[in-house]
Amino acid sequence: MNLLFGLSPFLAVGVGALLLMLAEAFGKPNVAPGVETTDAGAGRAGELALGAAVILVIGAVLSVAVWVAGPESLPELTQVAPHLVIDKFTLFFSFTLCVGGALAALLAGGYLPEHGIDRSEFFPLLLLSTVGAMALSAAGDLLTLFVALETMSLGVYSLIGLRRGSPRAAEAALKYFLLGSFAAAIMLFGLALLYGATGHTDLAGIGAAVRSIGSPGSTVSAGKILISLVLVLVGLAFKVSAVPFHQWTPDAYEGAPTPAATYMAVAVKSAAFAVLLRVLLVGFGDERLASWGAGWPPALAVLAVLSMTVANLVAGRQESVKRMLAYSSIAHAGYALVGVVAAMRSPEAVSAVAFYLLAYTVSTAGAFGALILCGSRGAEAVSYEDLAGVGKRHPAAALAFSLFLFSLAGLPPTAGFFGKLYVFRTAIDSGLYTLAILGLVNSVIGAYYYLRVMVYLYMREPAPGAPRAVTMRSGFVATALVAAAIFVLLLGMAPGFTLDMASGAALTAR
Amino acid sequence: MSELVQVYLPMFLVFAVGAAIVAVFWLGGHYLGPKNPNPEKLQPYECGNDSDGARGVRMSVKFYLTAILFVVFDIEAVFIYPWAVLFKGLGWTGFLTMLAFIAALLVALAYCWKKGALEWES
Repeated sequence: MNLLFGLSPFLAVGVGALLLMLAEAFGKPNVAPGVETTDAGAGRAGELALGAAVILVIGAVLSVAVWVAGPESLPELTQVAPHLVIDKFTLFFSFTLCVGGALAALLAGGYLPEHGIDRSEFFPLLLLSTVGAMALSAAGDLLTLFVALETMSLGVYSLIGLRRGSPRAAEAALKYFLLGSFAAAIMLFGLALLYGATGHTDLAGIGAAVRSIGSPGSTVSAGKILISLVLVLVGLAFKVSAVPFHQWTPDAYEGAPTPAATYMAVAVKSAAFAVLLRVLLVGFGDERLASWGAGWPPALAVLAVLSMTVANLVAGRQESVKRMLAYSSIAHAGYALVGVVAAMRSPEAVSAVAFYLLAYTVSTAGAFGALILCGSRGAEAVSYEDLAGVGKRHPAAALAFSLFLFSLAGLPPTAGFFGKLYVFRTAIDSGLYTLAILGLVNSVIGAYYYLRVMVYLYMREPAPGAPRAVTMRSGFVATALVAAAIFVLLLGMAPGFTLDMASGAALTAR
Repeated sequence: MSELVQVYLPMFLVFAVGAAIVAVFWLGGHYLGPKNPNPEKLQPYECGNDSDGARGVRMSVKFYLTAILFVVFDIEAVFIYPWAVLFKGLGWTGFLTMLAFIAALLVALAYCWKKGALEWES
């Protein structure tokens, strides 16, 4: 019983996904009388979105419940270890993933019908992908890691290509699929090498084997470990879209339906960071590898600096707000990587990254949601010009947009401010001054393109003859925005509670 | 090093002999064979009908669907075999786990069926 309770967040979302699948296939299509359809899910995006959101909220609530009960007081959970490691780290991330998934589901409930994408498979796929993402954050074994990674990715590949008639969507899906399978293959090669070098597939065993290098009697080859570390890092850097493994990101986000892009930006990235932290700290946590002189921290520091700088410079030159948000998500991967580098010295850095990703999840989902809200059928808001004058005609939409952009830019009193504060503070505490300063400078550069959106929202009028932005009306999108705004403000004004929870997550990652 | 050579030398010898035989036959045929080309013989196909129509054939998507479904349910059998071999050792836990696995697959089967993925006509 305790085992079922410990696994309940995963079971709720997994079983929920199967039930939603059946509900989608066996329901009655909701189409206008006289319209023939063979698709049982036709016209039912609303109810299925509600179902998916409810299931994911249940998953989030159960994550909190197991967190409060304390996974360490459930000894039965060792039965599923190391395949699934249910600790506070996992539970914090599965909460973040469920929240991100639920927001994406709500956004899709408004977006898909508005833009005539009548594909109700979106919701079961979203849930199945979220199960994969949650399992990824819990993976303590290379096998689970890879299966979970692919479960998560397969769902996303199809979510991107949902708009079947559009060549853009096909291009985006194909690009992400090809590059994604390539990165997965590289990573799989690294995992195979790691198994060959250490004889272990569980991360803890690998960590012990790596520590034994150099001690008498150890047969583990340091060279193989280093090569596999590089290969695994490449695969995971692709998933978190760190520069220079980011080229697919803007195209994939632009071609995907916006809720699918939201899901990729928040859930896929958070899950990839969770597994990155666990692999590096548990599998490669040896002092010789996790040090500034050698091993992964300098490599990740280079990735972090490149991601922040390149993404911020390119984001400012974008004409499409969706692409700008894609580059912004790359830049945020860079900020979070600063925290991952700091994790080599301070355990608090892990909780800082966990907090950062929760803040980033709600802010980014909100920003994409506000962008959805600013468009309507046939006039999806894409470029900056599309947003001109929204502040005057639709003050609520513009206000919400501004709040989430403030949070992404890292201005108080929002979630993003404390996320950045904690990450950079742990970097400074770990003596990574250069990295922290580069991060701060980049936050200032980043503020430019976030503020540019606000300039268009409030200070520009559409050019004469240009179409005026018409906001859509949808209870789903409005609910998602309100929920995200509450999170952004709560995390921004009273971050202590969540940070306490996140710091519980840190201790168990080592 | 010498150990490696000892182990792999016979294999490389087989490769070398194989390559040599192929080279001798191929080069021998190329240089020794009589060559009397005429227009008939230079055509791409010496026998059969002239080919017509487009080169690429568009396959119906249902072939892919069937292939994917076959792979999915074939893999199911792959997972069930080792379980069946270890059935007694795994006990009730193993039984319930496999039941859950098959239940999930049944859901997938019902989904495919209802969505019409199993219909060949239409």
